[in-house]
Amino acid sequence: MHSVPLVNSGGGQPGPGNAGWNGARPAANPVLLVRELVKEYKVGDGTVTALRRVNLAVFAGQVIAVRGRSGAGKTTLLNLIAGLDDPTHGLVVLFGHDLAKLSERQRTEMRRTELGFVFQAAHLVPALTARENVEVPMRLAKVARTERERRSHEALSLVGLAEREQHRAPELSGGEQQRVAIARALVHAPRLVLADEPTGNLDSHTGHAILDLMRNVAHQAGIAFIITTHDPAASAMADAVYDINDGVLTPGQR
Amino acid sequence: MFLALRELRHSRLRYGLIGAILALVAWLVFLLSGLANGLATDNGSAIQHLNADYVVFQSGARTLLHRSILPMQTVQAVKQVSGVQDAAPLGQFTITVQRVGSSEQIDATVLAIDPTSFLAPPIITGTGLDSANQNGVVLDRTAQRHGVKLGDTLKVMPAGQEMTVVGFTEGQTYSHLPVIYMDIPLWQSLRFAAPGSAGAITDPISAVAVKMDSAAAARVAADVPGVEVATKDSTLQNLPGYKEETGSVNMIQAFLFIIAAFIMAAFFYVLTLQKSNQFGVLKALGASTRFLARDLVGQVLLMTIVGVIVGALLSYAVAAIIPAAVPFALSTGLVVVYGGVLLLVALAGTLLSLFQIARVDALVAIGRVD
Repeated sequence: MHSVPLVNSGGGQPGPGNAGWNGARPAANPVLLVRELVKEYKVGDGTVTALRRVNLAVFAGQVIAVRGRSGAGKTTLLNLIAGLDDPTHGLVVLFGHDLAKLSERQRTEMRRTELGFVFQAAHLVPALTARENVEVPMRLAKVARTERERRSHEALSLVGLAEREQHRAPELSGGEQQRVAIARALVHAPRLVLADEPTGNLDSHTGHAILDLMRNVAHQAGIAFIITTHDPAASAMADAVYDINDGVLTPGQR
Repeated sequence: MFLALRELRHSRLRYGLIGAILALVAWLVFLLSGLANGLATDNGSAIQHLNADYVVFQSGARTLLHRSILPMQTVQAVKQVSGVQDAAPLGQFTITVQRVGSSEQIDATVLAIDPTSFLAPPIITGTGLDSANQNGVVLDRTAQRHGVKLGDTLKVMPAGQEMTVVGFTEGQTYSHLPVIYMDIPLWQSLRFAAPGSAGAITDPISAVAVKMDSAAAARVAADVPGVEVATKDSTLQNLPGYKEETGSVNMIQAFLFIIAAFIMAAFFYVLTLQKSNQFGVLKALGASTRFLARDLVGQVLLMTIVGVIVGALLSYAVAAIIPAAVPFALSTGLVVVYGGVLLLVALAGTLLSLFQIARVDALVAIGRVD
């Protein structure tokens, strides 16, 4: 399902450092390298350790599933990878850049051009149509109108929603909204997509279809995915599975 | 403006209600401005439109025309001062007249001038004053509301002296009364009818209107004995009741602007709070605070501009139907100025919202609490 071939986008304007979302990328260098990552929070007079010396390497086209119960540290890990939060110790190297050495503006720029996000809730802008929602990252990156229209149509076709592109978010079902969110995460040809419980709000059938879609895109377009999940089906489709428990990340069994 | 325009289109009722509030605030501002301007104009438009820079009064008259009596020779004395371009006599008096054939009594302010001087008012109907016809008078057209027409004979009450209406002018009121322009000798015969009322002055006038700069004004004050010099503006401000009237309405306007700022700030802040989640998600997707702030400011400006235009149109509609007796004067310049002030007030009202946007946390917005 949704295994729409990713055709070459021709005159597309991939983000800085991107080969375009259909370009094959060499897997020699990791897109993400996490070393000895520690995150502590001050709570009252005490300290809570959310992540303990986490190490991780993710390569282009790889799908990584991170399993763990609520409060285990999954989301904290994604926040630190996205540069939305700062680690207490350790290193996050994203696309060869040490995040600690980037300014807030540079991190924002990196999120805009190199990262894609899929949240547990779709978080679409209700006033916008499906196509306009998908266009948001390209508008932020000031991509020309005709290019925006072409790529958003392509992205919606990829998730099987080309016919629904003029519908506003509240007019779409939960599964459709999540597929629009995936199109939005992919439309600007990111190198890494961070998906935080992307199937958490969906029924199992729709959830599996979404996971299938992400795996196809990862393998065909060379985009890396990190998916946090409770769903065993997500583990089954991933290239590598990790368990996180009490802030400690370990390789997991399928 | 990408998000702003689509939100306006999508949530028509919500933004329509806020726009209606903005339009009502603008309407109230324009109505009060029109009233303030109307009152000021009604009280002193004859002084506002006086074709002079300064007025020379009798010393101690505290720049009040009705208190000042000067001899006609003062005009020549002023003219001889270095830097004075021109000077002309001015007389003032409040009278009651009655149109022959009517029982209605009309209060009016007499301004007496030399018909050949630069103080002669622009004529819109009939002819100007003529020294050869000393009983001819020119009236402000507001007197037409009392049925006065060109060629009418007016009787001065209670003496019964008669005058003929030879022309009408406009924008010439004084102390909320229409002005009757007349030649100096006629005014003298009315104002100083009682023997000895001019004291020792044989050829009296009220004041001297002068065209000159500030340096010449200082020389006139120093060199001409028994006079005090005031600018046209301070003469206007010192008209009886002028400052009190305009001051009251201006104070109401100032409070209205302050209240408008709070109303707008509250509306925009609530709107921003409602959209905090959306702003946070957009930040996570890579939107800068600047991008989001620009969108909000654009939305606020667009709503305020539409509100101001609607408010102005409503005000012009009211101006068209308001009774002529109500002093109301709304000029385009006034609408532009106060519309601009409202825009600035609206922008000030967004400051709190912009602060809120700056502190929106993407992590909180996307619900990442794990």
